[in-house]
Amino acid sequence: MKALTVENLRGGYSEVDILNGVALQLGIAEILVVAGTNGAGKSTLAKAVAGLLPRVSGKVSLGETDITRLPAERRARAGLGYVPQVANVFPSLTIVENLAVVEGVADRAARTEAMLTMFPALAERRKSRAGSLSGGERQQLAFARALMTEPPVVVLDEPTAALSPALVGESFERIARLAKSGTSVLLIEQRARQALAIAHRGMILDGGKVAMEGPAQDLLADDRAARLYLGQ
Amino acid sequence: MIPFIELALNGIVSGLVIGLAALSITLVFGVARFPNAATGDVMSLGAFAALAGASASGTLLIGGVFGIAVAAFVSLACYFLVFQKLSSRPPVASLLASIGVAFVIRAVMGVVFGHQQKVFDLPLARPWRVLDIRFHPTDLKISLAALATLVAVFLILHATPIGRRMRAVADDPSLARVSGISPRRIMVALWLLSGAVAGIAGILVGIKTVVTPEMGWDLLLPAFAAAIFGGIGHPVGAVVAGVILGIVQEVATPFVGFTYKIALSFAVLLAVLLIRPKGLFGTVAGAR
Ligand SMILES: Nc1ncnc2c1ncn2[C@@H]1O[C@H](COP(=O)(O)OP(=O)(O)OP(=O)(O)O)[C@@H](O)[C@H]1O
Ligand SMILES: [Mg+2]
Repeated sequence: MKALTVENLRGGYSEVDILNGVALQLGIAEILVVAGTNGAGKSTLAKAVAGLLPRVSGKVSLGETDITRLPAERRARAGLGYVPQVANVFPSLTIVENLAVVEGVADRAARTEAMLTMFPALAERRKSRAGSLSGGERQQLAFARALMTEPPVVVLDEPTAALSPALVGESFERIARLAKSGTSVLLIEQRARQALAIAHRGMILDGGKVAMEGPAQDLLADDRAARLYLGQ
Repeated sequence: MIPFIELALNGIVSGLVIGLAALSITLVFGVARFPNAATGDVMSLGAFAALAGASASGTLLIGGVFGIAVAAFVSLACYFLVFQKLSSRPPVASLLASIGVAFVIRAVMGVVFGHQQKVFDLPLARPWRVLDIRFHPTDLKISLAALATLVAVFLILHATPIGRRMRAVADDPSLARVSGISPRRIMVALWLLSGAVAGIAGILVGIKTVVTPEMGWDLLLPAFAAAIFGGIGHPVGAVVAGVILGIVQEVATPFVGFTYKIALSFAVLLAVLLIRPKGLFGTVAGAR
């Protein structure tokens, strides 16, 4: 069984298709990296999986469950965590409130404390408004919010984009640990080489289509992938 | 000096009530994202229902609770019958529809309750005199009721799960959904709450003055002014702005005359929009 399966996904924001038939399979406790140039449709794919794209066709399954017809909030409660690329915290809510509003959390108090332990920078400022956090802190809060329900699958849209180089490594390590503990991760990343280094598989999106895909090591070793998509 | 203090006190009382109406408007604006022009008529309806409830039960308290409940449920009904269907359309569609809803509610009130002025049957009370300043005990009760409502709304928004989620939806509806928050439940809570607040505002206006089908509509523009003045989507700002507008209106009355005091509130509004487009309290929580 796969944790997340996407079949022949098409759709976009208006009449124009941004996604032109994307398929992917994410194994349990696997990290699948999605790379590709700006505008390739990576974030659009993430939104389609999360249930936020206005117009889609195809099929999305979470485990064995077909979630294609479920609205975003039901997908979240069914166990899909999603961290958007931008606007991924509630700016006027405090850190603790950002975690408290999440639905479908079994033991809220315990889970909130667990998240604050996992992200000590947040624990120090638990009463601060999320809007006053730095880019890095915000990213951590967004991550913590998505993990509140202990989702079996998380979709992370460029989690390291706002981070300083020192924090990037830390963030990838955290993602690797998350996968080791059994969570499946769909990881959208511009820092494709670093991401592939912790991933099991990778795919490259181009013009809303899967241009290449395979085991992470193979993609890293591939000349064409390096030349066209990953940089040297 | 004394008359001015009395006018200012009076301004605080009417300003608190305008502030409550603005609070109702700003709640809807923050979450449902349109200026609800039916707010005023839900106020009037709350006042009429409270009058009916009070005369049937013989006590103002039961009448008040009844009036608040009627306002809350009519507000919710407006959502299900009209605003929900327009929620994916541009805000101007909902605004225009809310003007229509306002006319319908007012017409029905005119037919059912007539156009005569009605008053709440209150025991007559002597004004208090402190240092020659007169103050009505009723005004104090109205102010306390308005403040209690404000505190209650604040507590609901900040200290209850549904209130926090309402603020989350106001911040970012999409992020709220991917956090598992069902927009429908939030909307039900929002319309009940904003309707109840409008109902309380209407009842307090009715107690302070008289009840007519037009009373709420007449207060709509000052309430909008206070909502904008306070920073749209900012509950505390709405009430503070209401009080400021109330004081300005009352204190200026001897100079500009009764007829122009509404015009004055718009001069204030205009000035604010030109100088501080985001309103008194800077950040715009809802509109982004
Ligand atoms: N909200 C939107 N409305 C309309 N078109 C959009 C919207 N968001 C993205 N697009 C369009 O969809 C296409 C793909 O955008 P998308 O955000 O998925 O790219 P991306 O691969 O995530 O790029 P990046 O690496 O810059 O984040 C782009 O052409 C973009 O203009
Ligand atoms: Mg993107």
